[in-house]
Amino acid sequence: MRAILIAVMLSAGAVSAQAQPAAPQAVLHAAVANVIRPNVLQFDADARGLQSAMTALCAAPSAEAVEIADQQFALVVAAYGRIEFLRLGPVMEDNRADRMLFWPDRRSIGLKQVQAILTEEDPLATDPTSLESKSVAVQGLGALEYVLFGTGAESLSTADGAFRCAYGQAIAANIAAMAQDLVIGWYLPGGIADHLQDPQPANTDYRTGTETMEELVGLVSHGLEALRDKHLKPFMASETAAAKPKLAVFWRSDLTMTFVRANIEGMAELIEQSGVAHEVDAQYQGLANTIDFEFRNATRALDLITLPVAEAVEDDKQAAALGYLVLVTGSLQSIIGEQLSAALGLSVGFSALDGD
Amino acid sequence: MWQRRAFLQAAGAGFAASLLPRQALALERSELVFASAVQTASGGYGAVLLGEAGELIASIALPDRGHDVTISREAGRGVVFARQPGTFAVVFDPAGRAAPVTLTSVTGRHFFGHGVFSPDGRLLYATESDFEAAQGVVGVYDASDGYRRIGEFPTYGTGPHEMLLMPDGVTLVVANGGIETHPDYGRAELNIDTMDPSVVFIDRRDGSLVGQLRLDAGLHQLSIRHMAIDGRSRVWFGCQFKGAPSDTPQLVGYASLDGAIELIELPADTLLDLRNYVGSVAASADGDSIAVSSPEGNLLVTIDVAARRPSLVQTLRSGCGLAADGTGFVASSGLGEMIGIAGNERPAQHYDFQFDNHLLRVS
Repeated sequence: MRAILIAVMLSAGAVSAQAQPAAPQAVLHAAVANVIRPNVLQFDADARGLQSAMTALCAAPSAEAVEIADQQFALVVAAYGRIEFLRLGPVMEDNRADRMLFWPDRRSIGLKQVQAILTEEDPLATDPTSLESKSVAVQGLGALEYVLFGTGAESLSTADGAFRCAYGQAIAANIAAMAQDLVIGWYLPGGIADHLQDPQPANTDYRTGTETMEELVGLVSHGLEALRDKHLKPFMASETAAAKPKLAVFWRSDLTMTFVRANIEGMAELIEQSGVAHEVDAQYQGLANTIDFEFRNATRALDLITLPVAEAVEDDKQAAALGYLVLVTGSLQSIIGEQLSAALGLSVGFSALDGD
Repeated sequence: MWQRRAFLQAAGAGFAASLLPRQALALERSELVFASAVQTASGGYGAVLLGEAGELIASIALPDRGHDVTISREAGRGVVFARQPGTFAVVFDPAGRAAPVTLTSVTGRHFFGHGVFSPDGRLLYATESDFEAAQGVVGVYDASDGYRRIGEFPTYGTGPHEMLLMPDGVTLVVANGGIETHPDYGRAELNIDTMDPSVVFIDRRDGSLVGQLRLDAGLHQLSIRHMAIDGRSRVWFGCQFKGAPSDTPQLVGYASLDGAIELIELPADTLLDLRNYVGSVAASADGDSIAVSSPEGNLLVTIDVAARRPSLVQTLRSGCGLAADGTGFVASSGLGEMIGIAGNERPAQHYDFQFDNHLLRVS
């Protein structure tokens, strides 16, 4: 492969027209009031439900109680999936994002640590307070999935699974505590919600309306990239490698696509409900429809994927739908991160886009 | 791959253009002053060579996003490295007399955006990642043999980023950012909780570790990324903080071959405006001043190295690239701006391409 010096293809001196920054206040208010806070509250409610289900299971083990806990776990996974991309504010404090879901776990660090806790019956893992101080990989959704669906999970329905259940109960309590911290963070007077809706020069986080709009657009742009890089491409077949379905998040509980769908729905909801794509000049008004169209395409692809991932990657039609999801989320990232950003007059400049 | 083929076709046509004598002349007259990776107005990627007045002398198309550029007059070549984790580095002749050569990363290794030539121009060193082992390596390439990769040695850390050659000509200094990535997961950062950044000095003759310096353990999420060497041979570095956004640790410091490493105290306002992110570091021509940039905070700061405090704080939207110029610094931005600061009074210029994070002053 060789590259060749080419003639000047870029001209100096041209000044590209830039759109005027949009009025951010209404957009950010809608984002906070109609999307972020309700979804955080839903996550909190589901997390408390999971904590109750685990408490009940440990108090009176039975197949029915296990089933209820499993169902509640699925609700929590879906609820967290809707807000996972909101990597700002309280979830970024105290390592909460990693503590909530340590993923990807390329070296299976979390798996090994969770297995060690179960084998050794580590008493520190059954107390939420001491659990919080342990590795981030053993105290969140990934660890609880192994407790509920991993090797040996059948013991949960009997007294034989007492330690396993107690560990799961502590994890559920930890998740519920973090969910509550998210609620507190998003409702704290003078906190991030206020700063997003009313940026001031004296703030340490958001000082201008432009910064808040950049944050909003960046959340979705980066969320789409993370969805592809962490939750889709790692387990899909490539030109050079076979599919690796065990690299899919939540494969044990068959909640991989539930989580992916929640990711996409959460981002689509933020764009739609905030109205950010409408805050552009007349010539860019078509962008909102384009974004909506692409999100609906993504949803249609999701509808086609009905098998567990291990089977979906072997099924021609469903594997193709997964491939299409990668494409369409890439398209959405480009439309939102570049076209919409430019149409909004944001300075999400090239060198500031995603760090290096 | 279609982009690469299209690029080659386009490049083939461009190579015969009448620009070449101008390039050669520019190089002979030492008019070639700046180089930077860019994104074009159409969304493609390339690198540009600029003259003293900011005029565009030449551009190079790249198959994907580039990052930093290094040039050796002794080798008569420049190299633009792919952005991490990248699979290519393009070796080009700044005079335009020879066709560029694209180096492809070897199996199990990715380029990590930066590199440097040996003083005689015979060897090229590139920061790379052994991504299965999550260990940084320095890839060694023989410039006299078609840039054949002749070996590697460790960077003694994870996620190496910028690498410089110390004034002694034999010691490489590498910023190990401490962050693990793997191609299975794109650019996702896999070890934020346990990252271990360091500055390492390596003897380039045998790859042996001369010294490794770490900040306090409480600062293990402070990723050391970019560096510049001042007039006292101290290595100034700029960091990116990966911990809680509400924490605002100091971001700029220096390390030295005698084993010292420390952060300097920037004023609280300046620190806040850097937004926990330093994207580039440069030293002034006389070595008495350091400049750091934050494209996230839209801020440029110059620091008097003797006084260890800012001498200038200036805003530039999406400003990141920094290079010393005789009378100060030149800064470039992700919005296509190039300006002079700290005594450099060159007129601001706007281009229809966007500068990547780094701007090289060709010495």
